[in-house]
Amino acid sequence: MAKVLIPTPLRQYVDKKDVVEASGASVAEVLTGVVTAHPSLKKQIYSDEGKLRSFVNVYVNDEDIRYLDKEKTAVTDADTLSIVPSIAGGR
Amino acid sequence: MIDISSTPWQTMVAHAEATYPNECCGVMLGSIDGDSKSVTIATPLENVSAGSQTARYQLRPEDLLHADREARRLKLDLIGIYHSHPDCDAYFSETDLKNSCPWYSFVVLSVQNGKFHHANSWLPNAEQTASEKEELIWPKS
Repeated sequence: MAKVLIPTPLRQYVDKKDVVEASGASVAEVLTGVVTAHPSLKKQIYSDEGKLRSFVNVYVNDEDIRYLDKEKTAVTDADTLSIVPSIAGGR
Repeated sequence: MIDISSTPWQTMVAHAEATYPNECCGVMLGSIDGDSKSVTIATPLENVSAGSQTARYQLRPEDLLHADREARRLKLDLIGIYHSHPDCDAYFSETDLKNSCPWYSFVVLSVQNGKFHHANSWLPNAEQTASEKEELIWPKS
């Protein structure tokens, strides 16, 4: 199973774990596995329309999936996924 | 409540003043116990906003990824993000809100005429439609 690193503020939704594992051949499948096992996490990373929230980036190892095949990016059991927010702002 | 220790606070203020009149940005690492957050490390990051940075900042996602990895290595938590508001108050602007993330504390440092003036911490909601002020404690001396 692939590993998914959980940011500190989201660990409350995954039994306080800092890393969870889920099966799947793609980013979408792995993340679906994670939110199925931990339903309260879903609202944090997916919109009501079922899309990843605008501020959510996903990395497979060191690669941003926006520059790969987005949520269809292939994943193996050796891969580690990271959830990383987009953050900007200004006065 | 978010309590920032002396060393990270000095790092944040020095970064905000050195970057003036541009906005600075960085991350805060530390530990979390319920609603109580303690910041022990502040790491300045590059503002990668295109164009003028006097009123805009943007973090590179890869830098956040590396900050999270560093926090894990140190057995700490990535607690929040800081940035500066040159020559205006430490409010959470519409731009801040629309480009925020509800998972972290957002500390805003007001820098006026090149010197630190005051700061506030904010907690945006998941819909990025409102933010709540969080009690912020920093060394006053």
